[in-house]
Amino acid sequence: MVHVTREAKPPHMDATFLPTFPPTLGYPLLFGILLVAGMLGGEGARRLGLPRVIGYVLVGFAIAPIASAMDMSPLLDHTRIFVDIALGLVLFDLGRRMDLAWMKRDWTLAAKGVAEAFITFGLVLGTLLLLDFPMLQSAIAASIAMATSPAVVLLAVQDQRAEGQVTERALNLTALNSLIASILVTMFLASAHYEAGLEPETIVLHPLYLFLGSLLMGGVLASFGRLLARQIDRAPDLHFALIVGLVVGAVGLAQSLKLSVILCLLAFGLFSRNDEGKHDLLTVDLGRGSRLFYIVLFVITGASLPLTSFEAAGWAAFAFIAARAAGKFIGVFAFAMLGGLRMRQATALGATLLPMSALALLLAHDVSQIYPQFAQQLGTVVLAGVIVMEFAGPLAMQWGLKFAGEAEPDAPAVQSAPTPPPAAPTSTGAPAAH
Amino acid sequence: MPLDFTRSEALTFGVELELMVLNTRDFNLTRGASDVLQRLAKVKHPGEVKPEITESMIEVNSSVHRKYPELLAELRLTRDAIVTEAEKLNLAIAGGGAHPFHKWSERRIFDTERFQRVSQLYGYLAKQFTVFGQHIHIGVANGDDAVYLTHQLARYIPHFIALSAASPYYQGEDTSFETSRLHAVSAFPLAGHLPEVSDWAEFNTYFDAMAGHGIVTSMKDFYWDIRPKPEYGTVEIRICDTPLTVEGAAELAAYAQTLAAELLRNRRTEAIAPLYLVYGYNRFQASRFGFQAQLADPFAGARAHVLLRDDVIATFTRLEGVARELGTWSALESMRERARAERSDAKWLRERYTETKSLNDVVRLQAARWRESARAATAV
Repeated sequence: MVHVTREAKPPHMDATFLPTFPPTLGYPLLFGILLVAGMLGGEGARRLGLPRVIGYVLVGFAIAPIASAMDMSPLLDHTRIFVDIALGLVLFDLGRRMDLAWMKRDWTLAAKGVAEAFITFGLVLGTLLLLDFPMLQSAIAASIAMATSPAVVLLAVQDQRAEGQVTERALNLTALNSLIASILVTMFLASAHYEAGLEPETIVLHPLYLFLGSLLMGGVLASFGRLLARQIDRAPDLHFALIVGLVVGAVGLAQSLKLSVILCLLAFGLFSRNDEGKHDLLTVDLGRGSRLFYIVLFVITGASLPLTSFEAAGWAAFAFIAARAAGKFIGVFAFAMLGGLRMRQATALGATLLPMSALALLLAHDVSQIYPQFAQQLGTVVLAGVIVMEFAGPLAMQWGLKFAGEAEPDAPAVQSAPTPPPAAPTSTGAPAAH
Repeated sequence: MPLDFTRSEALTFGVELELMVLNTRDFNLTRGASDVLQRLAKVKHPGEVKPEITESMIEVNSSVHRKYPELLAELRLTRDAIVTEAEKLNLAIAGGGAHPFHKWSERRIFDTERFQRVSQLYGYLAKQFTVFGQHIHIGVANGDDAVYLTHQLARYIPHFIALSAASPYYQGEDTSFETSRLHAVSAFPLAGHLPEVSDWAEFNTYFDAMAGHGIVTSMKDFYWDIRPKPEYGTVEIRICDTPLTVEGAAELAAYAQTLAAELLRNRRTEAIAPLYLVYGYNRFQASRFGFQAQLADPFAGARAHVLLRDDVIATFTRLEGVARELGTWSALESMRERARAERSDAKWLRERYTETKSLNDVVRLQAARWRESARAATAV
């Protein structure tokens, strides 16, 4: 035994070991609260037969006023890091599920993707112009409308264990429209710069830097990932750590290089996809790990949706949503039959493209930073649209996957003793097989 | 009421092949059979392609043939059609006896009344039955010949197991077996072999008894390794794993045809009981050790064991005359070479795993092998 000699007791008590009041909230506590509350909300929704996402968002709605009432309004600023990591994982995963080789083999898929994105753009733009919104702002809002929420789509596919043609196409089209939307928003920022009266170099160079820089960074990271992967064993847990590390790192790097996080991570995922010939990175399932961040993402999304924008936007929000939905369905139907999709499948696919959530929010947010007029005018319409689609979207998605027959069917009640076959002594002409 | 045995031309033959439907992302089994079948229905191709018990399987039925080269040519065409249509849906197709890493619980039962009923009756066995086999049909003139041939072919079951073995991995693990698929089959209550009846009339008595107990309603309820198929007028060998290529599948069918020809020509008169005495043991040896199996010889007396590889080579050599008559010798010769080198699909799969250390990659290469031998074939 080692005896520890005690220091002499101080003459009077030092209370610094006690917390200060009120206690400060650290990231861990915050993350824990959002995660547990979100999970409970999700389960509540599921028991009502609703998609879990709706539960997460509702918890966010509930937390927002409590947080501001408790004077914890910086809460949402603190959580931005979780949002970024979560979106990083979502976009990477989505990029990884986009299959350029398939689009080459079946051109109707790419055509469908481009059609639904641009028809949506056109219809939304037209509608907003009819409502007398300014041209540039309408174009930016129309670009944001193109994007389907990657997080909602991925989560619904995971939750419903959906598999099949509609599921795969929904994922590919979502990746494609998210990509086109973020590129267009980047381009329209150039015009915003122009309106803001910046010098011509910035007008050209900034979007160019965002676009090419982000793509380049995605490509470099994918190559770097492959390089590292070659040095380690091909074990799924090692590759899981490698990928999550690179994705989180990429989010930070994109931010410090002032690149587009969205484009960077989509590109990183896309380039990491194992096309023929390159198979260094395993296709690990990020499922359970990224779920933690998904929950927090939706809770925070819910908490940051200003319900007031709804009053400000009014009917314009509904026109915006309706035009967007029409664009998605028309685009899908235009090429569905050529690609051999059944009516039922095409309808389901249209529905799965409706969700709008954090990506739209983030795009609107980024635009507003550079172009404050947007936030004051059309920004509220987009936000109000997102609020509606935050609920309607997951419902449409859930319905679509079920309608296509691709969601996992509910397990039938287990019968312990089914009735034995009838004791007919003769063989009947049963169908072939086995 | 007796089961009627449909007459068919002796030694005509055909095959059924169960195939995997895979996604191209991680090469797991996926829900895609109904979409592939829907597309195939609009394309001209020989034979028939049908659904199987789960949404991750499709079954190819060839037409009836007399000659091995015709069967091979047809299978190549069907394969090309399936591969082309599947590619448009971003799905891959592969041979092999079992998927190396899928989880049985994730499978979906194909939505037909019969499959749903099977699923209800057998519980997890039905989804576990997502394994992929080749069935070979050999035409026989009557029910008595069918019973005779079924018994005599029992002696050669280990050959078919070793020659077709292509499922060393199951549920993500190396099973140490050359074929793990047979365990999924053996779990069914009516698996096994034909009882020791000596002719069709006696078989009918047995069938009536089973039907009378309410245990079976048709031949389809017997999951035997070899069974008479009265509706088609054939004997059906159901022991083989689906090989990794259609060429392999056609060769196995050629072997079955040649063997049947020889057995029908030189009728055996020995008692059949000893065949079944060693049956289970030999079946296990072959599925565990492949060409290295030690087979108990039912007619050579106590403790007589023979190496499966040597028995296969000796049988091919013995069949050469008949094979040349039937035009199957090239198939048998190629299989004899493989047996000499002890090359099997199971070995090929294990080698790919050693190279890639990833079962996803093994399945990707498996699908490429299925697809590319198709292109090589059309190029020739």
